[in-house]
Amino acid sequence: MTEQALALRATGVRMEYRDPATRERLTAIERMDIEIPEGEFVSIVGPSGCGKSTFLKIVNGLLPATEGEIEIKHSKGGSDHAMVFQDSSLFPWYSVQRNVAYGLACRGVKRKEAFARALPFIKLVGLEGFESKYPYQLSGGMQQRANLARALTVDPELLLMDEPFAALDAQTRELMQVELIRIWSEAQKTVLFITHQIDEAIFLSDRVIVMSARPGRILADITIELPRPRDLDIKRTPRFVEYEEQIWRLISKQLSVGPEAAA
Amino acid sequence: MAAQTTTSGLAPSEQQAKRRHPQPPRMRRSIKNEPLVFGIIGFVVVLIAWEAAIDLGMARASLLSSPTRIWSAAVTDFGNGALWPHIATSLLEWTVGFALAIVVGIPLGLILGTFRRIGMIVDPLLSALYATPTVALVPLIILLFGIGIGAKFAVVFLEALVTLTVSTITGVKSADPRHLETARSFGASRWLAFTSVTLPSSVPFIVTGLRIGAGRALVGVIVAEFIAANVGIGFYISLNGNLLNASRVMLGVLLVGAFGVFVGIVIGRIQRYFDRWRPAIR
Repeated sequence: MTEQALALRATGVRMEYRDPATRERLTAIERMDIEIPEGEFVSIVGPSGCGKSTFLKIVNGLLPATEGEIEIKHSKGGSDHAMVFQDSSLFPWYSVQRNVAYGLACRGVKRKEAFARALPFIKLVGLEGFESKYPYQLSGGMQQRANLARALTVDPELLLMDEPFAALDAQTRELMQVELIRIWSEAQKTVLFITHQIDEAIFLSDRVIVMSARPGRILADITIELPRPRDLDIKRTPRFVEYEEQIWRLISKQLSVGPEAAA
Repeated sequence: MAAQTTTSGLAPSEQQAKRRHPQPPRMRRSIKNEPLVFGIIGFVVVLIAWEAAIDLGMARASLLSSPTRIWSAAVTDFGNGALWPHIATSLLEWTVGFALAIVVGIPLGLILGTFRRIGMIVDPLLSALYATPTVALVPLIILLFGIGIGAKFAVVFLEALVTLTVSTITGVKSADPRHLETARSFGASRWLAFTSVTLPSSVPFIVTGLRIGAGRALVGVIVAEFIAANVGIGFYISLNGNLLNASRVMLGVLLVGAFGVFVGIVIGRIQRYFDRWRPAIR
């Protein structure tokens, strides 16, 4: 990859918190340094509880880091960043179209215009014809499509995705991975994707960052040199399986020394 | 329609297959508006039993009255116009008192639920008021407002207010943190987060508050009129009780009950409108 403008630079991010039960001071994230060039798809994988979701919330501005700095490329017309949450984050009392337009409403765009601007993204994620449906009328996969469309509608420089397919069944999940690649290549966004599924991370990403068990830090930053466009068949190629094994070895070592194994 | 059980048209093998699987329970012919029909049957049975019990001398008509006697009391008192002022007054008391409770109680609940600290200050007071039967305050209210209609407004208002406020607070607090986080993540202003998340989340609770509050307001009307009034359905009931006129007492009770049912239906409609984004529970 040639020298490119960065979409995200995280420097020395550290996160501590006080355990509400024991009043003990715990370190969730020891140190994170990440640079993501514009247009790249980067995943973070790690054992559960490693602080990867916490890191994403820090990037999103939902949590203040104890130390460190987050720089996100400032967007000219759109938002700097937008988040795709894990589940249930669509408002059940809004129609699909109103949900997708919500980010624009937050930016003060009038209802009528926001609705109009939401349409192409509803189409992009394949929800044409479902604009006036309520979330309960959609399947899990369709809800996540709407969730993604809502984030894309604000035209973010950086798309943050917090295990968006974790609640889906295995087949829908694979289908959504393919869809996400298609949408990503069309929308041309920088993506920071959190998952605990190793194959999902490899399949989607240009780079996979492997985190340690808590306190979280970066164990490895692996560039995935698989050709694009990718389809699901690539998951059975030797190269893919090698990546899987490499990452699994890193994570499993963490599990055997992690606090959960000790308990 | 019920499935026919004749097997004459089937080949022998199919008959075999049919025998091996247990027959599904035969569907009963469904009646249009089943709950309504059966509900009416219940009413009619009770009315007939009541009338029969009186006619057969199993109970005294002077104490229990009977459906036909109540009917003739209704014809008389509606016919000569004697009931209308009572109905109008009670309706006015209920409407004004309940409307005031809505106008004050819901915004109050929204504020107390949203601003944590204010909520902490007011919560114990509210709980104390909620636990106190407001009826106990009626003598004090009469002292303050006199025996006119103002005192009735106050009683009805108080009866409904606390219920409305408490359920609105519960509603505000029921907002899903994930939805609030979503609003924050997209940079929603506090006001937009309130209107897009907090308010819709609390609507079901507010509607429940309306339902209970409407009933309590009705209790307020009757009780206030029992204690001090010269007009109103509560007064009509208590006066005719003193006059040992059981039919008119029953008539008054039935009118109040019918009004309660009517209000319940209206609120049910409101609820259904606000619940359109939920899967129907059936």
